[in-house]
Amino acid sequence: MSQRKLNIGFTLFMLLLFILVAQLSPKSALILGLGTGLGFVMQKSRFCFTSAVRDPLLVGMTHLTQALILLIALSIAGFTLIVWVGEARGISYSLNVFPLGVHTLVGGVLFGIGMVLAGGCASGVLMRIGEGFGMQMLALGGLLIGALLGKLTVAHWRFVFGEWPGIFLPDKLGWFGTLILEFGALFGLWMLARWWQRKQVGE
Amino acid sequence: MARFQLDIWGEMCPIPLLKAQKKLKGMNIGDILVLETEHSCTSRAIVVWAKDRAYEITEQEVANGIWHLELTKTHD
Repeated sequence: MSQRKLNIGFTLFMLLLFILVAQLSPKSALILGLGTGLGFVMQKSRFCFTSAVRDPLLVGMTHLTQALILLIALSIAGFTLIVWVGEARGISYSLNVFPLGVHTLVGGVLFGIGMVLAGGCASGVLMRIGEGFGMQMLALGGLLIGALLGKLTVAHWRFVFGEWPGIFLPDKLGWFGTLILEFGALFGLWMLARWWQRKQVGE
Repeated sequence: MARFQLDIWGEMCPIPLLKAQKKLKGMNIGDILVLETEHSCTSRAIVVWAKDRAYEITEQEVANGIWHLELTKTHD
């Protein structure tokens, strides 16, 4: 079973590669380690972000949607901890976070259409190429072209569509209020997903 | 107890599941639908879907990265 089997040769290769990269640059080694770990978990669990947002409407299944909501809740907790500790100790960090604008919605719809056609989001496509599913090599080509074009023109779109001023919620509601709001919203979504599943399957 | 085969080789998730749903509608109770795919998530999705609807299903990885599914239509 490729889902359970451990490939000793490949594990050894990755370990040696990790040691090699660690001697050149610890930061690259960290990224390699994180990437490998993420890919490992995604392949073993067969987690699929596309399926999580598509299947509720297409086939009425929300198992993965519920898992995705849990994932977001865990990331919120983790990020809150990092940002909170960072702020308390005066450590500055830069996150790739941008304010919402019309271009966010346009991009989301475009990405959503491509994602369903290609049968996977960015991580899913990469993971399945690693598994040997040849058709998604095509999707990777499209993904690379799209990402490159987006990277080159994003400043233009942000200027053309305009964006709302960014809000840092903890400044308005405090850390505790923010967490309650976010977890409350996620809990509402989770209840909605469960209700939808029951309604579709008629359990 | 007829056995039906559906060609979903190389098809992307969710096409195999939609095809299986369509095929099942034309089958009698007790009939078996045989599916084979090399798409790991498709295999998983069909198993989860079948269990949700209380169909009988067996999943077997016959070779590295190839899944063989047998779905029995136990009810309408």
